[in-house]
Amino acid sequence: MSTSEAEWVLLKKVQQMDFVVVELTLYTDTHPNDEEARKQWRDAIKEAARVRRQYETIYGPLSLTSVPSKQAIEVGWQWNSPPWPWQR
Amino acid sequence: MWVYEKKLLYPVEVSTCNPTLAKYLMEQYGGADGELAAALRYMNQRYTVPDKVIGLLTDISTEEFSHLEMLATMIYKLTKDATPEQLEEAGLGAHFVNHGHSLFYANAAGVPFTATYIQSKGDPIADLYEDIAAEEKARATYQWLIDVSDDPAINDSLRFLRERENIHSLRFREAVELLKDERDRKKIF
Repeated sequence: MSTSEAEWVLLKKVQQMDFVVVELTLYTDTHPNDEEARKQWRDAIKEAARVRRQYETIYGPLSLTSVPSKQAIEVGWQWNSPPWPWQR
Repeated sequence: MWVYEKKLLYPVEVSTCNPTLAKYLMEQYGGADGELAAALRYMNQRYTVPDKVIGLLTDISTEEFSHLEMLATMIYKLTKDATPEQLEEAGLGAHFVNHGHSLFYANAAGVPFTATYIQSKGDPIADLYEDIAAEEKARATYQWLIDVSDDPAINDSLRFLRERENIHSLRFREAVELLKDERDRKKIF
């Protein structure tokens, strides 16, 4: 199964936004009183969720914390289907 | 508990089949200063450290598991199309006769992973200093890997990982300061 260019671009966007959350989480772990950083962290979580919804609506859930969309089921999305991350 | 995400932390692309490079990358997969050692070290230390640093150890440990998956992806992609002869030429003949094309937690010299690579002292300062040292050693290993690698796609992922070790080291240093501040406050009545 080949990955379409459009999916790849959107998946990279999800990876980017999730990474911003990872990075800001570590920063706020050791800077609990930095209000500006905490605001950035909350905004990053919101933005990551927005981009993820966009991806998952079309291509299906990346984790089992999301409900598969009708569109994803129609194109044959299944959790137990390739490509797995190392197969892309 | 953990929830699996069907994506990598950062993209891993490979230019060409290269079992020699895969063998070197195993140092960061199952080696003393590798990602498995890091993930297991922090995940185990976190139960008995002060509340202030539990979040950091949990979050960095979780990130290390995603690094481990990136390393696995690199090794898998670099070796999946290699013939037994190519693996043998790359010094992976012994690996092949024991593990076939599968991965294993061993270092670049084929020495299997051992828990003796890591420690948990029950002393938060001792543990955090070990963690800082571990990050610096991992950063150095990534630099040496970049130096011997001629795969620009792999080098992109390795540079990302090298920078992450820098960030983790910095966060652990800050965690030490947080604990020192707390300790010093307790001495004042």
